[in-house]
Amino acid sequence: MPGKLPYFFILLSVFIFSSCTDREEATKVSLEKREEITFRPQLPALTYAYLPQYSHTESFQRHHRLVEYLSEQTGLPIRQVFPDTFDDHINMFGQGKIDISYSNPFIYVKLANRFGARAMTRIIEEDGQAEFRGQIIARADNHDINTIEDCRGKSWVAVDPSSAGGYLFPLGHFVDHGIELNDFREVVFAGGRQENVILGVLAGLHDIGSIREGSLSVVEDKIDINQIKIIDNTRSYPGWVYAYSPWLPEEIVQQIRDAMLNLDYEHDHEHRAILEAARFIGFIPSDDQDFDPVRELSQKVGLELD
Amino acid sequence: MTRLLPDFLHGLKFRTKITLGVAGMLVFCGLGIGIILSNMSSKALLEEGRKRGMALTSGLAFRMAEPILAMDFLQMKNLIDNVHGQYEDVVYVFLTDASDNILSHTFSGGFPTDLLTVNLDGNETQPVLLSTEQGLIYDFNAKVALGERNLGTVRLGLSRSEMDAQIHRQRLTSLFSTLGVVGLGVLLASWFSRTVTYRLNRLRESAEEVVMGNLDVQAGFNLDQNCWQIMNCQRKECPAYGDVKRRCWYLAGTLCPDCKDREYPYKMDSCRSCPVYKHNFGDEIQDLAEAFDVMAITIKTHIEELTEREKTIARQQGLLKTIMNVTPDFITLQDKDLRYKFASKAFCDYFHLKENEVVGKTDFDIFSGQQADLNYHEDMQILITGQALSKEITFDRPEGRKWLHVIKVPVYDQDESIIGLLLTARDITMLKKYQEQLIQSQKMEDLGRLAGGVAHEINTPLGIILGYAQLLMEDIEDEDLLDDLKIIEKQTKVCRKIVADLLGFSRYSQSATETVDVNESIQEVIKLVEHIFSLNHIKILNDLDRHIPPLTGDKERLKQVWLNMLNNAADAIGQDGAIYIKSKLCAHRQRLVVSIADTGKGIEDENLSKIFDPFFTTKQVGKGTGLGLSVSFGIIKDHGGKISALSPPPVEYLPDDFPRSEHFGPGTVFIIELPLDHDQETDTEDKNGEHCRT
Repeated sequence: MPGKLPYFFILLSVFIFSSCTDREEATKVSLEKREEITFRPQLPALTYAYLPQYSHTESFQRHHRLVEYLSEQTGLPIRQVFPDTFDDHINMFGQGKIDISYSNPFIYVKLANRFGARAMTRIIEEDGQAEFRGQIIARADNHDINTIEDCRGKSWVAVDPSSAGGYLFPLGHFVDHGIELNDFREVVFAGGRQENVILGVLAGLHDIGSIREGSLSVVEDKIDINQIKIIDNTRSYPGWVYAYSPWLPEEIVQQIRDAMLNLDYEHDHEHRAILEAARFIGFIPSDDQDFDPVRELSQKVGLELD
Repeated sequence: MTRLLPDFLHGLKFRTKITLGVAGMLVFCGLGIGIILSNMSSKALLEEGRKRGMALTSGLAFRMAEPILAMDFLQMKNLIDNVHGQYEDVVYVFLTDASDNILSHTFSGGFPTDLLTVNLDGNETQPVLLSTEQGLIYDFNAKVALGERNLGTVRLGLSRSEMDAQIHRQRLTSLFSTLGVVGLGVLLASWFSRTVTYRLNRLRESAEEVVMGNLDVQAGFNLDQNCWQIMNCQRKECPAYGDVKRRCWYLAGTLCPDCKDREYPYKMDSCRSCPVYKHNFGDEIQDLAEAFDVMAITIKTHIEELTEREKTIARQQGLLKTIMNVTPDFITLQDKDLRYKFASKAFCDYFHLKENEVVGKTDFDIFSGQQADLNYHEDMQILITGQALSKEITFDRPEGRKWLHVIKVPVYDQDESIIGLLLTARDITMLKKYQEQLIQSQKMEDLGRLAGGVAHEINTPLGIILGYAQLLMEDIEDEDLLDDLKIIEKQTKVCRKIVADLLGFSRYSQSATETVDVNESIQEVIKLVEHIFSLNHIKILNDLDRHIPPLTGDKERLKQVWLNMLNNAADAIGQDGAIYIKSKLCAHRQRLVVSIADTGKGIEDENLSKIFDPFFTTKQVGKGTGLGLSVSFGIIKDHGGKISALSPPPVEYLPDDFPRSEHFGPGTVFIIELPLDHDQETDTEDKNGEHCRT
């Protein structure tokens, strides 16, 4: 019996040790000691806004590197702000809450006409063009719609009434083909989001949709874009534009413009990363006259720019 | 104290031990496993709680990116409140931006600033356990990140009390489940132990019955189906048919077609494939019980056989012992250590010992040291050499010298090794006496022949001396010379008488053959001496058998014998005594017996064998020559008879009215036997033939 006692204690120890839980050390914290906290106001900075055609996070991820680059290059504090809608963007610019606006040519024309915005640079799209166009899409299996004429009497979803590639260019294209707004069964806006237009058409909620060229690639990792067919493309118009507030001193504008124009997609690795995040490959200088075709188009389709 | 528990356990019943053992194991294992599983599940629950808190925090952080970018405080607040309100165990949620500004929180009445000092690093192991006034709280930290940019931090406090309560509930459930299973296990163990011990008890009771001598037990159970029922067998001559106590495979000589006719267990190989075996074969305990039954029956049979053999052996032992004890020879058996294993009754009686005083002892325990030492060396030599010993030894005993013829032989066992010593000894004292008598007879015959020759040669000169002396007596008138001559004449006559006796002893004298009436010759002698004896107050009694036939012999010489006998008796009595003469016919032995008993001084034992020697006498010098009995011996021998003496005389030689006196000596009786003539009528014998014993 004495020889078996150690085995019994070993067994007992196993049980005792196994029964011990890992005792966690707790940090003593008082929830009773309280203070009223006030938000520390943000430091003054130049505000940079991207027309909200995508989600805020998408906007942030595309442009925060560029914003940081511009801030570093100019030595100026620059902060990205996020308007919720196109109108919000226009209003905030009008209120002085946006110093640098990156928008489509249609919004720019509105900003220029209403609040004196001035074009600073234009971007060069990934296809190497400084212009872009709109596209009219439908479900690939919708055999009723194959040409621009087939769009008559259908349900049309567009990005926003202020959208250039997503509404204005296609509307001009329809007008050129003799189709007026009244000829559609309905015209619905997707809140400024290109993705919503594509997804609305794909879901069958609308017969046709209008998007800016290149938007399909944004959702290609979310849906099978082969299920979408392009009915027609509009003519090209001047592309997206950087404008500045009329209250912004000219030398600061110049610094910013220079910084933008200095970005070298081809040869600078860091610049390339910045530009790839922003989904374009460079800048060209721009001024207000570049956007007269847009003004004409607006007039043609009967949209008010002021 | 340390022995109390083992003693207590040892004293418990087997059934209780099994139940306690199984219950103990169940409790030990059940609680052990329960504790382990409970801890595992507790850990799992805590881990699950932590993961849930982390998931809530991470999800919230993911949804906070847009509101932070848009600085949409309402949405921030809504998201935070949604989580805080949705889950009761979420104590607090707050959101900070990248500059640690608190953007939104769920506290009312101020913000607990202590929270801003802990769990600031989102990279450290999450969550951090906080001890607060509201109990233990897990504080989770999740970064609101977009790409590599950190937009802020979501912190969420999850109460651990809910997890602890859940763990507690789980432990209670585990405990009660374990107790329930253990309880059920104990019940099953009790039932199991009862099932096992019931059969063991039955086996034990059977064993006790066997110990008490009852071999007709049945520890196994009766079968629901027996072999003849399973096989549909009608072979009633089979030994298994109708036997409900034993399984057929335990029986020899069963008549199954597949059963080899061998005894259990040698036929098991064939039985194991038999359908009866497969149907009736039980577990180990049943097997044990059945084997026990077979063993009991087998033992019973063996015991009966052994009992019968024992009776036979006992009978043989008794017979052998009777033979051993009845035989007058000494028989002993000693082992190789010379310890007595057996001693016959004659041996024990001879040495005045009891059997148990001999068996197991050695000679050193029984005999004197000298005798034992002698025996020891002698016995050891036999044991060593294997040579048997035969010898004659003599003992001086109070009743006289004894002669024994001793034979000692070694005893061999089956492998031819000596395992003991057998001694046989026979009392040859009588044989020795006969030998001595034979030698004596031969000696006396030779002596008689010598004496006869000498006497014959001396007789003539003596006759001449006597003649011339008598002639001289006639011629001489001188009284003195005449007296001298008379002395010469007298002494010469004495010499002639001696010579005549010697001639008679040696049968040298001429004997007449005639028909003799023994009783008449006795009567004549009695008449001759009666008067003389009466002067010495010696009375002569007689009891003469009238049926004695006449025999052929020399009357005068026989009368000489009677006269010698009576004279000897009178000499032995001296004064005042009685002589009893008796004659008796022993027809079946074809002889007559004459006994002459006296009340004299008797004869010493050592002299009894010598009294018939010539010239042997116990009388004073000059009172007798010692030739009377010798001459009588010779006369009786010439008549083909024999003469012997006993002292004191046995009662059968004395009449019932024989005079008794304290002055009388022990007395002697001389017994003379004479053969009858074969042509005599001998069928008239006294029915009381006890006096014919000589």
